[in-house]
Amino acid sequence: MHRIAYTKLTKEQIAAKLGPVAERGPASVSPLATDFAGESLNVVTDDGPALSYKFSSNSKLSVAENGGRATHAGFGALEMDHICLFTHMIPGTQRGYVVVVDRRSKLATVIELWFSGYEDNREVQRQIYYGYIDGGGQPPKERHAYTDRLEGRGYHWRQDNGTETLEYYPSAGYSHFVELSRTGGELGFSAPSDYLKVDNDFFVYTRTECEFSGAFTAYVIDMNRTQKMGVRLGFDEADNLRYDLFRGRGDIVGQIARFEKFGDYSGDPIPGPKGKDGKPVKGGRRVYRPIKTMEKLTREQVAQIVKEHSTAFPPQTTSGGAAGMGSVNALPASDFLAGKTFTLRYDNGPVMEYQVASADELNWRTDGEGAWTKARYQAYEVAPGLFLMGHLLEGTPNHDGHIMAVDFHQGLVTCYNGFLNTPYFANEAGARTWFGVLEMEGIQPPMYRRHARTTEMLGRCITYSYAPGLTSMHLYSTPNTVSWIIFTPDGHGGMEWSGPGDFVKIRDGIYFMNWREEACNGTLGTVLLNLNIMHDAGIGYHCGTRGGLNMSRIGAVIRHAGKFEVDRYFQIRT
Amino acid sequence: MAQDKTSSRRAFLRGGAILAAPVAAVALPAVALADQGLQARIRRLEDEAAIRELHRAWLQRVNAGERAALPDATVRRIIWDHAGAPDNIEIAADGRSAVGSFDCAVEVEEPLPKDCTLGQMAHAQGHGSIRRAERRTLRAEYAKDSGTWKISRVDLTTPG
Repeated sequence: MHRIAYTKLTKEQIAAKLGPVAERGPASVSPLATDFAGESLNVVTDDGPALSYKFSSNSKLSVAENGGRATHAGFGALEMDHICLFTHMIPGTQRGYVVVVDRRSKLATVIELWFSGYEDNREVQRQIYYGYIDGGGQPPKERHAYTDRLEGRGYHWRQDNGTETLEYYPSAGYSHFVELSRTGGELGFSAPSDYLKVDNDFFVYTRTECEFSGAFTAYVIDMNRTQKMGVRLGFDEADNLRYDLFRGRGDIVGQIARFEKFGDYSGDPIPGPKGKDGKPVKGGRRVYRPIKTMEKLTREQVAQIVKEHSTAFPPQTTSGGAAGMGSVNALPASDFLAGKTFTLRYDNGPVMEYQVASADELNWRTDGEGAWTKARYQAYEVAPGLFLMGHLLEGTPNHDGHIMAVDFHQGLVTCYNGFLNTPYFANEAGARTWFGVLEMEGIQPPMYRRHARTTEMLGRCITYSYAPGLTSMHLYSTPNTVSWIIFTPDGHGGMEWSGPGDFVKIRDGIYFMNWREEACNGTLGTVLLNLNIMHDAGIGYHCGTRGGLNMSRIGAVIRHAGKFEVDRYFQIRT
Repeated sequence: MAQDKTSSRRAFLRGGAILAAPVAAVALPAVALADQGLQARIRRLEDEAAIRELHRAWLQRVNAGERAALPDATVRRIIWDHAGAPDNIEIAADGRSAVGSFDCAVEVEEPLPKDCTLGQMAHAQGHGSIRRAERRTLRAEYAKDSGTWKISRVDLTTPG
């Protein structure tokens, strides 16, 4: 989805498609809620609109905003128990509403939606207002509210319109979704989200697919029945406007740990920006926009940068990936390889010969040919006899780096071959995975056995503490996805992003993984994770104007936050 | 340089008790005030009290976030460490300069680097710095100018 070139729709294009939909109201596969004809409803919100509704049928209403002139629009409603959700647009505008009403408590939450409110017009904007149904008498004091109570939950959802997703809520301000029905679940993606508490049984979730299609989804979850009802509004990759109500049935796939203090159930951990008057900006929210902000270089620019500035493992290096402060908790470099000569023979890759001169200098050559090339390297002993090592390959056309898990006990090696000049941005790292053997005096390499890809990490969440104040959590949401979540100072899950990854089992409890920050800084991150000691060693490979081409050490003390049981939703399990 | 060592935490409390009665001191018989040693001691105590007041006012400015008062751009708060070593104010024999030493807890805030993805995300969500508390020894130099004490230098060092 991050590779779809979504059209930059104009306001006029959006208006043209929105007009008839606003008149008609949302589509729905499931029957709409009935008995609205002749009813009226007054919704009062705090610091927001007062909405006076009159329902002429189950699909037509008139609405007066703040006592203004009534406007007629199509609408649709769904109900679950005592909760009603209805939605409509305002014809002639690019605005609309989703209203969630608790018939029992008379509380209501209004989500105002609009297009053309951001530089990318197709990205749906939202503002949430809390309020109540005004039926005369004393207004209730309670309100629906932001919460972190959904944080850590994961669901498999199957909707009435055929959409099947895995949805993870590892943050109180973001979420992660995997489209099983549309993409086969190859990759997961992350989006800013709202989590609202209606009562202990019903919660509201929203997400806006910022940086992608810009579509907006909101639904009410019945936590006991594991059902949902909701609405999706936005333009798909073919620029078709979708405005759909849906119902869904789900399965809880897990609940991972939360890291707030006990008793802290607050939500909205990354509040939006405030205006000059000190009040929140309408629709304002903090969104991680890596595609917008990342540096994008051409092949020629990359070649020049590499020529001028290539470094490997400078002291306290700072660049790319989780590097920088990422080396504070890193494992120390090892001098085990100093003085050794060995060959790494990859099945579908090169034969790499090494003469290691010291703890940080080696000489390499490929396929037994040509001159030896000197390179700076580092190696970290992650478990007895098992090393993570890496070096740049000066002079290679795509500015390669090799990052290897070398097992001197088993005679096995797996290499992540990082390279540049990838199809979208030349400074965005790609990675090949090579399996092979270690040939060295005194070691008998296996003939057939190899390290192997694994799904044992699928669904796991691991926190990585690189340095004081710098902790992230990985969520391995699909067999090919690494998502990362950062925390707020009070332990809420905050912003989240994700990229493609690879997972290789090295030994019991030890995994060699990578993630590519595609359309997001372009870094290749690798970790050799040892769950036996709850520590990893890692190496980042990155190219940019500031740091040049570099390879750097990362490392963290880890915690296991839990595991989502999602194996059964993926066909290939190893 | 000969200096009178006049303060430990205990000494400060004792001095405080004496300073709490300046009116009584004025009311003492003239024969007692004639004792030069006592006069010198009172001067030292008055200087020490003035320095402590100066120090307290400065700490208030620091903890209020007054940028001009910060000894270091990363410092956000300085809190007296009551579990630390006794504080010490040494006034020079000529009464024109002094050095103070105070154990304290310092809250330091440092920006996260922006050249890594996690740092960029932290900045994007409005949490682009980390705050931590550290035990430090605050060493201050004071100078008396036209009868008024001023802070001439402040250093925060890590206790040995």
